[in-house]
Amino acid sequence: MIECPSCGRKHRPGTLFCSECGVYLPTGGPLRTEPLPDEELPVSRANPWVSEQVDEDKATPTPLYLRILETDRQIRLPSSAEVHVGRLDAAHGIFPDLDLTTDGGLEGGVSRRHCKIHQRGATYLVEDVGSANGTFLNGQRLTPYLPHVLKDKDELQLGTVKMQVVLQEE
Amino acid sequence: VNTETEKDYYAVLGISQSATEEEIRHAYRALARRYHPDSRTESAPTTLFHAVQAAYAVLSDPQQRRAYDRRRAEAGLDQQAALNWEIHLSQNQLCSLHEEQVLYLLTEIKPALTAEGERLPLNLCLVIDRSTSMQGARLNNVKAAAHQIIDELRDDDTLAVVTFHDRAEVILPSRSGIDRARAKAQVSTIWASGGTEILQGMQTGLEEIERRHSKSVTSHMILLTDGQTYGDDKECIALARQAGARSIGITAMGIGEDWNDVLLDQVAAQSGGVSAYIASPGQVRSILQQRVRGLGTVFAQSLKLSPRCTEGVWIESAFRISPYLDRLKAEGGAINLGALQADAPVAAVLEVGVAKRPPGEHRLMQIELTADIQSQGHSEKSRRDVSISFTPEETAPEAIQPNILSALTKITVYRMQERAWDTLEQGDVEKASQQLEMIATRLFDLGESRLARAAMLEAGRIAKGGTPTEKGRKELKYGTRSLTIASRRKSHD
Repeated sequence: MIECPSCGRKHRPGTLFCSECGVYLPTGGPLRTEPLPDEELPVSRANPWVSEQVDEDKATPTPLYLRILETDRQIRLPSSAEVHVGRLDAAHGIFPDLDLTTDGGLEGGVSRRHCKIHQRGATYLVEDVGSANGTFLNGQRLTPYLPHVLKDKDELQLGTVKMQVVLQEE
Repeated sequence: VNTETEKDYYAVLGISQSATEEEIRHAYRALARRYHPDSRTESAPTTLFHAVQAAYAVLSDPQQRRAYDRRRAEAGLDQQAALNWEIHLSQNQLCSLHEEQVLYLLTEIKPALTAEGERLPLNLCLVIDRSTSMQGARLNNVKAAAHQIIDELRDDDTLAVVTFHDRAEVILPSRSGIDRARAKAQVSTIWASGGTEILQGMQTGLEEIERRHSKSVTSHMILLTDGQTYGDDKECIALARQAGARSIGITAMGIGEDWNDVLLDQVAAQSGGVSAYIASPGQVRSILQQRVRGLGTVFAQSLKLSPRCTEGVWIESAFRISPYLDRLKAEGGAINLGALQADAPVAAVLEVGVAKRPPGEHRLMQIELTADIQSQGHSEKSRRDVSISFTPEETAPEAIQPNILSALTKITVYRMQERAWDTLEQGDVEKASQQLEMIATRLFDLGESRLARAAMLEAGRIAKGGTPTEKGRKELKYGTRSLTIASRRKSHD
């Protein structure tokens, strides 16, 4: 018999979901993002009241790249109005547009639904969507659900996964 | 033609005659891996491996394949199947354990692309509850919906309208050639009064449908009610079963909160139809319209799956997951999957229990699929063997196919709410409330925050010693049935 890591109910081998609590059994519970100890994360909070200039007129936006410092992977942001960033969890139907699993996402404290980047005119805005370990812009923790403008060479940090914003004309 | 020694190569690889080169290659690789002498244990005959190799040798070579197809045509073996039927297992092999284990079987049935037929005329009957409680917005919306259906029907369709309260009346008899203006005028005269006796309405509705019923039409009854019927539940279900046996499907729709979902679910299931929850009168039109449009695309009816398990193998549970989720029950060894619409594949998941087995290749079951193909006026039958190899050693876990995962995700939540209501019925209030909270957690996980909140509300209500609301209960039951597990495309770099 196998035991559900979440509620302890016993199941026959091969069972995929716990009938009691609905947890996906093969991965040993939901791929939960563990809260990281405070000392691993920057502490200061971004001032939510700073109003920033949004350039809504420019028709064709500059493509945005994210360069992940640890793996040196450079990712061109998919060109859609809203890009969800997080970790893929097929069992729970979470399919982020940008999956950070291969960039040390789980260990780095990236939530399955971590943040989203949306476009308004030529401006990119990042918005934390209630992640466990927070989204940081240039070392300042973003207030969840409050969008902030992204600029070239900004440092974006999801949990402890750091990346650089590259916004340059081709 | 020497068909005696020449095997059906397509059947050997488990593919259709229209399979692409890619599909052939894919099927070959999977089977070759499974039957390869090095990966196999003694009990599986090597002939299986040779058969797979022989089939691939012919089908992978375009010239040989053409020649083979010609020989098949001469032997009359090239009858195109009207249905495309696939079976997937959650695991490709099992470890030979000293205890029982579980395996999931996903089966998907689609119309074969080449077999697209003409749309058959609809033989439709609307059976409308006109009891006092329907007065006002409910009945007005039902009338508006009926008008819309009348406008959208084709000239060769037939429509009957029956209303019921304490007794049933035929408002619009079934007649070929719809007089749209007259039909609408008749519908407009419906007014509300009296009680709810569903059996009366069903009987009269089925009589109207029978007048025009034949193999060359799609016959269907749509029952709309907002109330409870008393004492005639059993007769309603028996009537639905008879209708189902005659290929007449029933869609049972409940408006508001006070109707008997257990009865309507059974009426729908027995006839191979659908049941639906209409939370507010404003939804009547769109739900009804969608249903009638769907009926227009019915490709096959009375889809039945009959699994025959080998010893030590049994079916724990069966759920349909597409076009909508429902628990399936086997009757007389056959599982009724209802109708297949051209635009929506029928898919079901069987949860299979397997007793301990020695290593080797084992046949788990043979499944037979039968269906009445509407456009061709005949029924189709096919059989498949489901086998799996048991390995002596535990192997690294395989990745589970995403379609099986997403199916089971939905089924799990649906079953959790079934359990919660059962627990409550048995009087264990505390546990039921906990179970509802767990459902809420799962629903939040799935991004279904509206349903999750409904579960939280009911959990809180029960925990405080109250009773769950009918609205919350129906919302959860029908809401978890129609979960769409978001599978937004994943894009990289």
